[in-house]
Amino acid sequence: MFVARIVAAALAVASMAFPAYAQFKPTKPVDFVVHTGPGGGSDVLARAVAAMFEKEKLVPVRMNVLNKPGGNGAVAAAFLYEKKDDPNTIGFITSVWLANALTSSEAKITVHDLKPVAELLLEPAVIVVRADSKFKSLKEFIEAAKAKPGELRQSGGSVTSRDNIVRQQLQHATGTKWAFVSFPGGGERLAALLGGHVDMMVIEPQEAGEQIRAGKLRALAQLSQTRLAAYPDTPTLKEAGFDIEATPQIRGVVAPPQQPADATAYWIDRFQKLMQTESWKKYVHDNQLEQHFVPGPAFGEAMKKVDNQLREQFKEAGIKVVR
Amino acid sequence: MEILQGLLQGFQVAMSPTSLVMCCVGVVLGTIIGVLPGLGPSATIAMLLPLTLKLDPTGGMIMLSGIYYGAKYGGSTTSILLNVPGENSSIVTCIDGYQMARRGRAGAALGMAAIASFIAGTFGVVALMLVAPPLARVSLAFSAPEYFALMVLGLTMVVLLAGESLPKALLAMLGGLWIASIGTDLFTATSRFTFGRVELLGGIDFIIVAIGVFAIGEVLGSMEPAQPAAVLPVPRGLRNLMPTWDDMKRCRFAFANGSVLGFLIGCLPGAGSTIASFMSYGVEKAVSRHPEEFGKGAIEGVAAPEGANNAETGGALVPLLTLGIPSSSTTAILLAALVLWGFKPGPLFIQDQPQLFWGLVASMYIGNVLLLVLNLPMVALFAQLLKLPAYAMFPLILGVSVVGVYSNASSQFDLWLLAAFGLVGYIMRKLEFPTAPLVLGLVLGDQMEKALRQSLMMSQGHLSILFRPIPSVLLVLAALLLMVPLFKRFNALRLRVLDEEA
Repeated sequence: MFVARIVAAALAVASMAFPAYAQFKPTKPVDFVVHTGPGGGSDVLARAVAAMFEKEKLVPVRMNVLNKPGGNGAVAAAFLYEKKDDPNTIGFITSVWLANALTSSEAKITVHDLKPVAELLLEPAVIVVRADSKFKSLKEFIEAAKAKPGELRQSGGSVTSRDNIVRQQLQHATGTKWAFVSFPGGGERLAALLGGHVDMMVIEPQEAGEQIRAGKLRALAQLSQTRLAAYPDTPTLKEAGFDIEATPQIRGVVAPPQQPADATAYWIDRFQKLMQTESWKKYVHDNQLEQHFVPGPAFGEAMKKVDNQLREQFKEAGIKVVR
Repeated sequence: MEILQGLLQGFQVAMSPTSLVMCCVGVVLGTIIGVLPGLGPSATIAMLLPLTLKLDPTGGMIMLSGIYYGAKYGGSTTSILLNVPGENSSIVTCIDGYQMARRGRAGAALGMAAIASFIAGTFGVVALMLVAPPLARVSLAFSAPEYFALMVLGLTMVVLLAGESLPKALLAMLGGLWIASIGTDLFTATSRFTFGRVELLGGIDFIIVAIGVFAIGEVLGSMEPAQPAAVLPVPRGLRNLMPTWDDMKRCRFAFANGSVLGFLIGCLPGAGSTIASFMSYGVEKAVSRHPEEFGKGAIEGVAAPEGANNAETGGALVPLLTLGIPSSSTTAILLAALVLWGFKPGPLFIQDQPQLFWGLVASMYIGNVLLLVLNLPMVALFAQLLKLPAYAMFPLILGVSVVGVYSNASSQFDLWLLAAFGLVGYIMRKLEFPTAPLVLGLVLGDQMEKALRQSLMMSQGHLSILFRPIPSVLLVLAALLLMVPLFKRFNALRLRVLDEEA
């Protein structure tokens, strides 16, 4: 206890002497704020990150996951904003936070009011049809949609989800139209496709992998920067002949708006170190994600770019944009 | 033969000391979080996930599943004793369970809940083991139009929950449907009835409404009389606390109904245990020889839904393990756990990991026995709660309700909602509106609206999609159910005419 105090005092003196970065070190438990309930995508990621930080001894304190569900990220954003200059709070965000800020006038605080720490991941996806479907390529699907506008069906999430944005982009580029049926749960979307109630869906690669191996689904194209290791034979959108830059689905971390620079620098450094660990590489591989580390203000710029893309796509899709 | 071999292999896995310990830990934890309102199995499993990653996957899976089905056992306890639903799936148990407790039969209700849970839970495991693959394929035939018809059938149960006045019940149900529409619309991303509040963007969780109108409304109503409510009678001795042989005979059909219906609804990726328990309660009342006792403490009204929500667990594992499709937030996190352990859940999972699958099945047989042994003696303990005088009982109910709602999402706004719905429940009691139809409308309304709009999107707006074979059958059943009160009235009239003639 005594030693700890001396160390703390020494650190405090040091930080006064050199107000540069990397002096901050958390001394009390850290909160990871997520916008989903326990078990949601961000929640599982935050808990996995906490476990990895602990295992790799990168963060010396306990990390709690704090669930602030509600308003598709708006409640969590407001909570983080209220934390003002707290160095011990980090929020896990996804593209949902950006999309929701555009469509809900209720959200007074958005992700743009928070301090960007780092982009961590891109979530790739795969466009799939049933294995017994007559569509062998995305081109064939588009041709069929052209022949009978509105008759083919895609299952997906909310209209503001990536699933629908990809559809909008493809429809716009090819002058076609097909129906989009929203389901709240991923299980229901997949069941609708497997049961033959819809013709196509955009799905996470990890989820699709086993269905393909079992001969239930066929991948037509992948939404990723480069071909995923698990999908060496599936063309990307560009390779499939569609010159579309799919709006990326991002995951990253943010901080309360006035978090001191040394604390934010500390977190950027920790996340950068995390990316180099075996545990993280295994996690990214097992879940078939794409690592995409963009630290600090550059992450803020990246979010603004996605924000602008989403705004245009929503307007085009007839979704009411409020800001 | 193959099944027998698999099961033998499974018991070898499940009977190993570590697996037995894991199973024990899981079901005990499950029972505890089931008893505590608010904290549910999905939250518990998520919190334990990092910890279980250090365990052997089979043991970890056995423990997490133990939490999942163990919670269904515990859920009925506070429903019966305090009128506070312990889990979403035990909301409907409040209706008759709490009335039984008011009549000094809390022990019988608690005991019956444990026995029905055991019978249906075990049935669920047997069915999972025997018919999982073919049933999973059949469940895929269910999509939006089928769900819509199922929800309509569920809503027509309002005529069974009505009590004295059908118009009042219908009004209450419409109120529930309206509350269900609050939030962000999935199909247009438009907010509905959010009154500018961020907290309402995600809609209102039906457990808050259920606790508000059932528990808080009950407390407010019971505090009114100047005379304090008498201490409830609690019989002495374990034997007098258990359901009698007559009770068991009365519940024969409830056991079968809860088991089969719960399992089948569990297999559907878009339904869930709350709907399973409501449905089996409805069926039980519809076929009962003394429907007038329902709502006043009929023991079948506890046995059927408590059985159904346990059989639902076995059902929900069917699409999860055979197709890789999660049907609820709890099964979704079990799926995430499998991925984190490095497994690949999907259609080939059972084939690739027979040891894990059969070990899990065998552990569920063991777990259900453990839960029965664990829960029956606790009946005597829990029943003592009712000896509390009103001045201790009412604060207890309020405290449990507040803690339960707050621990759900740690949101202060939810507590205001709880208070508001408590007041709604009180006013409804004063005006003699039944509260169950409100909760029914809320539970089913959201899914029914979605299913209808999904169906119409699939068919480019043609209503014909609702008359595919399965939905047609369900809709005809719904129509028949709606006519029950008409037949009753007609029959009463006929009897009166006969009387007058004689």
